[in-house]
Amino acid sequence: MDHVITTAGLRKSFPARGGRVEAVRGVSIDVGRGEIFGFLGPNGAGKTTTLRMLTTLLPIGVGTATVAGRDVARQPGQVRARIGYVSQLGGADELATGRENLVLQGRLYGAALPETRRRADELAALLDLSEFAGRPVKTYSGGQRRRLDIALGIVHQPEVLFLDEPSTALDPQNRASLWEHVRSLRDHGTTVFLTTHYLEEADALCDRLVIIDHGQIVARGTPRDLKKQVAGDAVVLVLRDGDQAAGRGAELLRRQPYVRDLTAAGGQVRLYVDDGGAALPRLLRLLDGAQIAIRSVQLSEPTLDDVFLRKTGRRLRDTGQPPEGRAAA
Amino acid sequence: MKTMRDTGLLFRRSLTELLRNPVSLAVSFSTPVLYLALFTPLLNHLPGAPGLPRGSVLGLFLPGILSLLAFATGIARGFGTVFELRAGVIERFRVTPASRLAILAGPILAAMAMMFAADVVLVAVGAAFGFRPRWTGLLVLAVLLALLMAIMAAFSIAIALATKDIISFAAIVNGVNLPVLLLAGVLLPISLGPLWLRVLAHFNPLYYLVEASRALTAGTFGDPAVWQAFAVLAPLCAITLGWATRVFRHAVA
Repeated sequence: MDHVITTAGLRKSFPARGGRVEAVRGVSIDVGRGEIFGFLGPNGAGKTTTLRMLTTLLPIGVGTATVAGRDVARQPGQVRARIGYVSQLGGADELATGRENLVLQGRLYGAALPETRRRADELAALLDLSEFAGRPVKTYSGGQRRRLDIALGIVHQPEVLFLDEPSTALDPQNRASLWEHVRSLRDHGTTVFLTTHYLEEADALCDRLVIIDHGQIVARGTPRDLKKQVAGDAVVLVLRDGDQAAGRGAELLRRQPYVRDLTAAGGQVRLYVDDGGAALPRLLRLLDGAQIAIRSVQLSEPTLDDVFLRKTGRRLRDTGQPPEGRAAA
Repeated sequence: MKTMRDTGLLFRRSLTELLRNPVSLAVSFSTPVLYLALFTPLLNHLPGAPGLPRGSVLGLFLPGILSLLAFATGIARGFGTVFELRAGVIERFRVTPASRLAILAGPILAAMAMMFAADVVLVAVGAAFGFRPRWTGLLVLAVLLALLMAIMAAFSIAIALATKDIISFAAIVNGVNLPVLLLAGVLLPISLGPLWLRVLAHFNPLYYLVEASRALTAGTFGDPAVWQAFAVLAPLCAITLGWATRVFRHAVA
């Protein structure tokens, strides 16, 4: 495959109290041309740090990276000319209009004024911004702003577009519309590299992804393949009598040969079986026989969260650390 | 060539931002005039007092206020940098191929343009109240004002990039402000002070500007203060700009 991004053994550490913190610990990836490639992981996993190294914003600690055929460490200027980057913050000028922002951005990439003006109008139409392009950015809604940020990132028609947590703070409707825009970019030949901590986003949007935790890749593949690795359906049993009942129930169910990856916490038992529909009655009968009362039952196909749980022993949804800020980035 | 073009683009952007903010616009023009209006009456009896040259009050203090304005405009630049850092603006520029020096120089030059506009107002108001400078001297002084403003701005931006937060940045700027202002003789000539103070003042770039500003507006071009100011400020400007560009390249995480 034609690789647009290749990294080998990327590492980065930052000075911290009592030594150094290793944010990225040996990340090697290959991203093919024209795919949407995702970095899924909890806040603080090293996603943004990796992204910042690939976009020349942060010196590479150890390892090598090639983006759009250029060495990131040795040819940062050439890499910059070929990539677009949309940070979590966006960074459009609030007092300027959307069009003014787009024109300046195009000019900074070296384009002439008439060409840039034409491109700005084209982008405004592409991202449904034409109506507000003449208004100051500070009057934009969250979704409009995000679309402007993306327009700013692709003003020079880059080979690769980097998106850092693109749908943070967007409502579901705007998120869906953003995904549509990202897919259409991909369909027009742009490679998209994005980081996200939203399982649904990684699942719905990415052609391929890696799951990253504590600076290391713990899984990689298409969303479908990753979920297939978990093999089977997830069953969640919420028990009426809390932890003690969950403990007893867990012990009982764990002995069944068809039950895998069982975890019990917070009055819940979570487990995996090959065929959820067939296993469920048997599970219920077993618990009933042991006089363990059940409050509710959920049966679900595996999600990327199940993959994350399997690989790290934690749930992605529960890793409620503060957002990956600038200091951690 | 590319640096010039990029600087021009980013200069226009910063200037537009400054002009679109009515509060900052009003303050940058009213402050120097207020200084003049409020301070001059206090000093009416000073010229000719021990340690002070004879001459008009305005001739003595207006050049000092021009110098003060250059210092204050420069050192305030970092506030904008902290804001733009937090808003992601600087990151957005850094990831473009735009010249790194241009990303620094654009905002500095825009603030400088605003400063000169305020200077013109100040001199015009001063002239209405009897300020009679040597005009050629004033033009040479403009070069020195630009140098000092750029030095302080580069310093301030470098500190802003290193601290990245407004509280630490403001603490450092405030800490620098007082000694630099006191040791420069902006409002009162340093020659009034004891020997150790006068020696210490020679480590202060603003001191050279203030001394030269009085000589230049008075038209005494041969005064050693003039060449000394150029000898100190020109290399210092190159050094601080180089340093700030370096910090910009490396320290922004």
